[in-house]
Amino acid sequence: MATDAVGSETPTLFLRKATGLVRGWSVRDSIIYACLATNFVTLGLYEFTFAGPAFPKGQMLTAVLISAVWVSFLVVAYSGLIVTIPRAGGDYVWQSRILGSGLGFVMAATGWWFILWLWAPIYGNILSVQLFQPLWATLKWTWPGGGAAWFGTDTGIFVVTLITIVLAGVLVSLGMGGYARVQKWCFLGGMIGFAVVVILLLVNSHQDFVNSFNLYGKQLFGVNNAYNATNAAAAKAGYSTSPFSFGPLGPTMLLVPAMMFFILWPNWGATLYGEIRGASDFRRVFTGMFAGLWITVLCTVIFFLLIDKTIGWGFYQNLNSLDYNLTPQFGIWPYPFMYAGWLVHDTAFQVILILVLSLWFFAWVGTLFLSSTRVIFAAAFDRVLPDRAAEVSEKRKVPVYSLILMLLPAAGLGAVYAYSTTFRSYTLDATLVIAVTYLFSAIAVVLLPFVKPDLWRASPASRIKLFGVPVVPVSGLITIGLLVFNLYEWLSNDLYFVNSHDSLYYMGGMYVLAIVVYVVARIVRKRQGIDLGLINKEIPVE
Amino acid sequence: MKVFFATDIHGSEVCWRKFLNAAAFYKADLIVLGGDVTGKAMVPIVAHNGYWQAVVRGETIRMETRAELENVQKQIRDKGFYPAVVTPEELRTLSAEEGAVDRRFSAEMLHSLDRWLDMADTKLGGGKIPCILNGGNDDFFEIDPLLEASAVVNFGEGKALDLDGFHLVSMGWTNPTPWDTFREAPEEELKVKIDAAVSQIPDLERAIFNFHAPPYGTGLDEAPALDETLRPMHGGAVMKPVGSMAVRDAINSYQPMLSVHGHIHESRGVKRMGRTLAINPGSVYGDGVLQGAVLELNAKKGKVTRYLLVNG
Repeated sequence: MATDAVGSETPTLFLRKATGLVRGWSVRDSIIYACLATNFVTLGLYEFTFAGPAFPKGQMLTAVLISAVWVSFLVVAYSGLIVTIPRAGGDYVWQSRILGSGLGFVMAATGWWFILWLWAPIYGNILSVQLFQPLWATLKWTWPGGGAAWFGTDTGIFVVTLITIVLAGVLVSLGMGGYARVQKWCFLGGMIGFAVVVILLLVNSHQDFVNSFNLYGKQLFGVNNAYNATNAAAAKAGYSTSPFSFGPLGPTMLLVPAMMFFILWPNWGATLYGEIRGASDFRRVFTGMFAGLWITVLCTVIFFLLIDKTIGWGFYQNLNSLDYNLTPQFGIWPYPFMYAGWLVHDTAFQVILILVLSLWFFAWVGTLFLSSTRVIFAAAFDRVLPDRAAEVSEKRKVPVYSLILMLLPAAGLGAVYAYSTTFRSYTLDATLVIAVTYLFSAIAVVLLPFVKPDLWRASPASRIKLFGVPVVPVSGLITIGLLVFNLYEWLSNDLYFVNSHDSLYYMGGMYVLAIVVYVVARIVRKRQGIDLGLINKEIPVE
Repeated sequence: MKVFFATDIHGSEVCWRKFLNAAAFYKADLIVLGGDVTGKAMVPIVAHNGYWQAVVRGETIRMETRAELENVQKQIRDKGFYPAVVTPEELRTLSAEEGAVDRRFSAEMLHSLDRWLDMADTKLGGGKIPCILNGGNDDFFEIDPLLEASAVVNFGEGKALDLDGFHLVSMGWTNPTPWDTFREAPEEELKVKIDAAVSQIPDLERAIFNFHAPPYGTGLDEAPALDETLRPMHGGAVMKPVGSMAVRDAINSYQPMLSVHGHIHESRGVKRMGRTLAINPGSVYGDGVLQGAVLELNAKKGKVTRYLLVNG
């Protein structure tokens, strides 16, 4: 029996040969995953278009920094949960174990399943505005009717949403193995594309930008003197923004809930952590998510500074304000990277840049249904959903029924999203519902030392202390503060568009649906002689 | 008949205690532990003059009373490790002398298993509640005679045990792993072992397979993909099937009513394979939680009427 000794000078642990003794996984992989989850290009740029005009007195740079500092505590809290209960399934497992099966199911079903139906059209819209629209515009393609602008029409949005749903479904069917490889290469390509944008904005002057913008505004869209026309249109609509700076804090804090749309997801991979040795290593888990988050912040800061230097902060916000008022300049979403590409007067270069930057989308799209299918599987194994929900086809290894549970509702909601501008404004519902799920995980991490003291004492997280105070539960409390602040703002401030009756009905409907599914499952299983209450009931030790 | 099945407790004493209490807790008529009973690591507790010292979960702990020592030993055992009280000299010998650690490991494992069987004797009423155990690929062979000799547990390896109309056949062997553990064999050899065991079953309609290795490609056998240096690929998010093809083929051809498995801790799940219900309850022994499956079997119909995966 071969053994290994662990310990610097004298051995403190002897390991014998046994299954599962693996080396720690590379932190680089989890950094990439966290960085893509807080996707500064797909989610960040998309959100900036909304946030700037909605809160013109706030400062986005400060808001991003405040948000990231605050979300860093969420990273600590989640790292604590991951190393304490390193299970695939994440929030579902932790909440079920610590807070109870029913709550765990409702929070996981809403936050990791139902709400992702709404993310499908959001993903689709992002694909539309960051790939199809700029590509069609640059190549001056006129098919289908309206060319680039067609992708912004109701039907255009719906068609691209369907493409996205199929793409995400195919990636889930292919398995994470192939997708992870694609993801890595896409991340590299996307970063190279961003580096090119940085160089272009760095080496060119504001005047160069104005000239290029006017040139291509005329050449591609037939708009004369587009730069001045943009500013004039924004002024005419009554929009004025604050100059790029750090304050004031009050209005800037209102931007924090908006920034959650991209900053809140460094822990997105938490559902994927299985029982591997590295998952018990707090520093490794924390570093992956923390570094991913702050790389995103770094990219955002660089982008903001270069926007201010070369494009002009006020002008960028004017472009965003026109889109916010549903009168976008050139009739399509204001994609700053496309404008950066115009600094090189070569169509082939511009097309390649758009394609390379779209890798940020393709690296990210597979995450859409991946976690949902895991939650559906876990719920089926717990007998809350019919056994069939966890079936995988023998031939093609496709999780047919769980995919149907994702694809069909997502396609239906995609249609509603495409053809109802009111529904489209519920984009922040997508963030809100997941934030509620996170809130209960944060509560779970705070309660963990009291509810499961043995588990807590055995966890590496319990040994992380500052001045004798355990860091993880305190971070949980700070995370609760972050989420409660955001939830309060979302639900009380009209500017986030989620406190309307319709939006509340929509969100409430999802919670009711989850509760109904759980209650029905309890009743049906009870009739079958199966007590679902036993699932997480602890066997006495003595 | 109600059966509780758990597996892969890897030396966790808290899980063993829970396993022994599972019959009463779930009102089961029979409890089955599907292999990988023994722990993977040994923690030396160094006895100094007037105190003991050990490193537990990265923290150096000094124990000055016997009660403190026993408390730390309990913590180590609950985690699935073996506490080994040694003098500084013995520790030096363990580090320096070839084979010394292996010998001590074996002694601690057997001693621990002996204690466990004593506990079982008390908890299971001296054999009144049937309990079936077999080894897994991580269990060295020296435990077999100990289990075989026990009056409290039935050692199931390679036998077809008659259980009130059902026949349960057990096998702790698995297909090869990257760790070259004790009970591994090529697929062809596994097939021979399975066929030999199954040939003892008179009625396959009422057969239960208790094979440590899960069937290949069924979702019950997905483990993180590793590179050649045993490092999980892509942050551990990429899973690949690592189960046994011989086990899969046996289930497909013999079609027992139930097939229970373990080995791949993270692959908790259920799979229908024709008329066979295949289950891997997974394992989270490190958390002190006993995952298992509560199964209700109908002898008349020869089928599993109810099942529930639990985290006890």
